[in-house]
Amino acid sequence: MTEYQVSLTGLHARNERTIQATQDWERSRINEVTLKESFDKDCESLVELQRHAGAEYITDGQITLAWQDLFRPISSGFEGLEPGPMVRWFNTNTFFYTPIVKGAISSDGKVLSRVIERRFVDHGSSLKIIIPDPLTFAELAEDRHYGSKEKLQLAYADAIRGELRTLSSLGVKYVQFSAPSLVYRLKQKPFSRSELGQLGEAVRSALKGVSLRSGFYPFFGDASRYLPELFDAIPTDDVGVDLTQTDDSSLSATNKGVIAGLIDSRTTYLEDVESLAARVEAVVDRTGTKTLTLAPSSDLRYIPRVSADEKLELLGRLRARVRRGGAPQKAKASSRRGAK
Amino acid sequence: MKAFPTQEIGSLPKFGWRTKPFRLMALTDDDLQVAREWGDRLQVDGRTDLYRLLSKRYSFSDEEKKTIVDFSLLYAIKMCETAGQGVAKEPGLDLVWSGEQARTEMYETPVSNIQGFEFVGRVRSFDNKYWRMASIRSAPKYKENYHLDELLFTQKHAERKLKVPVTDAITIMAWSDNNYYTGKWAKKAGLPPAKRSFSARREFTLELAKIIRRVIRELIEKGVEEVQIDIPAATQYQSEDDIKLVAESFNETTKGLDATFSVHSCFPPNTGYGILFPHLLEMKKCERFSLEYGNRDTFDRGLDAKSRVGFEDLKLFKEYGFKKELGVGVIHIHTDTLPSVEVVRDRVLYSAKVTDLPPENLYVNPDCGLRTRRPEIAQKMLDLVVGGAELARRKSG
Repeated sequence: MTEYQVSLTGLHARNERTIQATQDWERSRINEVTLKESFDKDCESLVELQRHAGAEYITDGQITLAWQDLFRPISSGFEGLEPGPMVRWFNTNTFFYTPIVKGAISSDGKVLSRVIERRFVDHGSSLKIIIPDPLTFAELAEDRHYGSKEKLQLAYADAIRGELRTLSSLGVKYVQFSAPSLVYRLKQKPFSRSELGQLGEAVRSALKGVSLRSGFYPFFGDASRYLPELFDAIPTDDVGVDLTQTDDSSLSATNKGVIAGLIDSRTTYLEDVESLAARVEAVVDRTGTKTLTLAPSSDLRYIPRVSADEKLELLGRLRARVRRGGAPQKAKASSRRGAK
Repeated sequence: MKAFPTQEIGSLPKFGWRTKPFRLMALTDDDLQVAREWGDRLQVDGRTDLYRLLSKRYSFSDEEKKTIVDFSLLYAIKMCETAGQGVAKEPGLDLVWSGEQARTEMYETPVSNIQGFEFVGRVRSFDNKYWRMASIRSAPKYKENYHLDELLFTQKHAERKLKVPVTDAITIMAWSDNNYYTGKWAKKAGLPPAKRSFSARREFTLELAKIIRRVIRELIEKGVEEVQIDIPAATQYQSEDDIKLVAESFNETTKGLDATFSVHSCFPPNTGYGILFPHLLEMKKCERFSLEYGNRDTFDRGLDAKSRVGFEDLKLFKEYGFKKELGVGVIHIHTDTLPSVEVVRDRVLYSAKVTDLPPENLYVNPDCGLRTRRPEIAQKMLDLVVGGAELARRKSG
């Protein structure tokens, strides 16, 4: 019997009120306290929506000034790193500041705990934190110190380990390693088995002595070239696949949990629940997984908040649908905005 | 021909007195003071009429708002034509525009004027910068020429050669929500997921290209000689098919048109502009590529590869035997921290060195449009472009 979960997998879109607040704050029309109130309310509404959708692990959507991009708290807060030039984030119209590795990477183990919304833990939520995986960090950072991607991955993993231990002690329950660099390979060759093995070792090192459930989620690309090895090579409890880029037929049996990136996070078009349910059934048939996490294909920050929330609600409806069981119905004709 | 000619990329910042009347906000003493200071500094013709109009402070009629926009265009033209004053012996950019002051923004203006789009909300680009995303809900159709009035006014008042920036189809596609075509292609069975989403992008892009071609054709009919096709999203979708589509879209847009065309792009992924090659060179009518480089460079003086690390990518043009023109972005536009004029000079000279292009073929410009900077910073950036190019001219003899 498969357990179905719902989870967000990255930075979430800010709502219009928060957007306006950030602009007012930049123009000195409001102070930082008022700005923080907007962020707080925004996070709360997102947490509520996740609860409503049946999410087991809740994220704060990284809706804070600290998470301007996925690297920022790390590149700003870890010793040996600093934010550098602004470059495009994969195939999106969003940008991040390149982490510059100027010296040995270390942290006091409290950098991430300072930027998460701990109040949700205090109120009984199972909080999930989302961070870059070692490979994505090593691929996108500008290394002026280690001189080898393998060493850089391990150094990053060493520094992350202390952070994860602190987060675990504070009650955080889940860590997701976001890994777009693994599958976003266009002109470059796919990573070799040995490189996949190095990545697995770095992830293992980051998780050593850490009592969090863990997931590894490569998105923005086709994972089929790494399957089925990926599930064995990466020592996390769950491994994800971006199913808007990867054909279901490349999946095979696994004992791990599967994060199924079924819902296209790059468009407001709402997929048909019955068609999605049919794909869920196919994924379960192929993998035999005991835990299937229904997820968006990537962060839900590439469409406006209202649409991002609709996608989250769609995940909730999909979960209800697949838990109810029964053969998927033929897809209904889509409405102008997609099928509800 | 002049060595190291200069150009802007498109947008300039808008003053508070330009934007507030449209947001129904009252003008403050500061706004009026800024209008006076800049008007006097730039010696804008008829500026006392503007000062008189702005002293009303609020409740501007539509006609008065149009007058305010017109003055805003005049200020921008003057900023371009006097850039480098006090820094350079020969002030003024060689190619100018009116700072996109008549446009809401490079994306919002076209999508507001093409049928089939619906605005759905703001999306964050980086930090606290956002764009208002439009969703395509039916096949796009030409509504009206959204650059014609702006062109006619600018033609009448500019003294230097004009280059009209026009947002291309790839960028409009990439920054929009592709709802209509995603839905259309979702129904086509048997295609792999990635192929389906590419097909949706391609169909959307090529439909837009036809509309933009019509917009440009009408501008050319009014005497436009040079058009800059703005493709900031050229490096967004990076598959081989998508890069081919960038060239296909440019060729489709410029098909049958007779003008000088250039292309601007910026902020590629960390792998740089290499992903665009060789398909970039298949843009048949493109005479000049104006690209961002200053963002990735150091503030150290020098003509060595380490000091000029941000310009390494330029070598690609030489490797591929490129002989046309380049516009090199020498100023990072998302920071108020400015390089010295000597560093700008070195950036220009290094660009000439690694591309082997004659100095006449190497334009100097900021990395991108300057709309996100305060006017005083934008002015300093344009001063640096003109000043740095002049120093490079002297040095190269």
